[in-house]
Amino acid sequence: MISLIKSEFRKVFTTKLLLILTLSALAFVLLTVVLGVYLTPGPPGQEDVNGLLEPAAVTNIYASVGGASVFVLILGIIAMSGEYRNQTISSTFLATPKRQMVIFAKMITYSILAFAIALLMWIATVIVATILLTTVEHAPVDWTKVIQILGGALLGLVLYAILGVAIGALITNQVAAVVIALVWIFVVEALLTVFVDWIGKWLPGGALNSILQATNTSGFGGTDALSVPAAALLLISYAVILAIAAVVMTNRKDIT
Amino acid sequence: MAIEVKNLTKSFGSGVTAVKDLSFSIAPGKVTGFLGPNGAGKTTTLRCLLGLVSPTSGSATIDGQTYRELKNPISVIGASLEASGFHPARSARNHLRVMAAVANIPESRVDQVLHTVGLSESANRKVGGYSLGMRQRLALAVALLGDPKVLILDEPANGLDPEGISWLRSFLRHQAGLGITVLVSSHVLSEVQQTVDDVIIIRTGSLAYQGSLASLSDGGSAEVVVRGPNIERLTRVPGWNVRSGEGGSLIITGVSAAEIGHQAFTESVELHELREKTPDLESMFLELTQSEGSTT
Repeated sequence: MISLIKSEFRKVFTTKLLLILTLSALAFVLLTVVLGVYLTPGPPGQEDVNGLLEPAAVTNIYASVGGASVFVLILGIIAMSGEYRNQTISSTFLATPKRQMVIFAKMITYSILAFAIALLMWIATVIVATILLTTVEHAPVDWTKVIQILGGALLGLVLYAILGVAIGALITNQVAAVVIALVWIFVVEALLTVFVDWIGKWLPGGALNSILQATNTSGFGGTDALSVPAAALLLISYAVILAIAAVVMTNRKDIT
Repeated sequence: MAIEVKNLTKSFGSGVTAVKDLSFSIAPGKVTGFLGPNGAGKTTTLRCLLGLVSPTSGSATIDGQTYRELKNPISVIGASLEASGFHPARSARNHLRVMAAVANIPESRVDQVLHTVGLSESANRKVGGYSLGMRQRLALAVALLGDPKVLILDEPANGLDPEGISWLRSFLRHQAGLGITVLVSSHVLSEVQQTVDDVIIIRTGSLAYQGSLASLSDGGSAEVVVRGPNIERLTRVPGWNVRSGEGGSLIITGVSAAEIGHQAFTESVELHELREKTPDLESMFLELTQSEGSTT
């Protein structure tokens, strides 16, 4: 397994994908921080009031780190489906005919990368958010929650990387896999989480928000969310179920 | 290292049966040509052998084991497959390093195989900029990486220029000289004719011929070409199968040139040409692969 992970790391570091997605994630997260600091609206009906006087809104700025989850998911999807796209999958399975080992090695490799990305994003978010918050009036920062967000980001991003690898194995057409994932996150989940939160909280995105301490302050719908341990367990379950499906599907697949 | 394909059948979900009850075995230490027209099922057979495609029924084994059961398979069998690609942004060396890591192969071996296939100069360039010939060489380097005892090469001559094909011939001869068992597929007999000892010919997924290249040409009946000013009389000899050939010549089958010469002498037929024409391999190959199943 060590040698397989070494091989996967060689794959990662011989293309620019990781660099591009990490920089994109950083830009996206920091943009969300900036928007959170300067454009958080007040409660419904009092939009002119400074929304940052609400402590949850300040915590939400630090939860922006969760935005990196999309990029980590795409990273996992491309890592797996890219092997089919570039037809390197034949060589990969010739070297390792026990295909589940390839999937596990990829999941471990991208979990390690996701862990590092989560740490990097959290540090960047804390630095930028804390500096920018000095320029506006705001409720005090709840540092306990900010530390909890780090834990949530580490767990959440690792699980999203695993989900990505599984999705890439299940939908081997790379373009289709990426498009489906993006539509799911930005359309299906975004709408369900905000407007139908009793469904939304059971979705991966809702579970991620819960473990990131992010609350629905959009003014629409309720603020119903799972507890952090329940949400973490739910997200782990999603990852395990999709990983099992990925292994079963991949082992049955004819590589032509 | 014996390779054995037994009653192999593969049907794809779309109802296409690519391989039908195919059986053959490959002698160790020889170069075997795996021949058949495009779409005959060569690639599917090889992919079944390499554990990439699951057979519908039957088996394909290496010393009694399926590919998926092999420990460290790339040190047993080296394969280059037609539809196997490379990440365009990765260099040849990095492609090999990725493979090498899996089997704990040292980096020095990577440089060695790059040298063997003549890619040392361009090893650090992105594969996206490679010519088809260079990609074929890289595929061979991948196959050689684990220092295997068996090489399975799917259409390695495809897209090569005449110089490349000649290079491939000497490469295959060199590998055979090292005692490596080679199975090389092609849809063109002439590409491998000078290199292979044995041939396996398949047609629409079934075996059409297995044996040595030499006995393939024995399978056809010899023809004798006869030319002369008044050879019509030879068409009336009982028991001879005579048809007219090009430029007023006659083509006689079923008798030897000596018998024809004797008959002509006794009947005072003047001969300008009396020549035995052994059927060439290419036409034997076409005959084997085009009859029955082919509609053209």
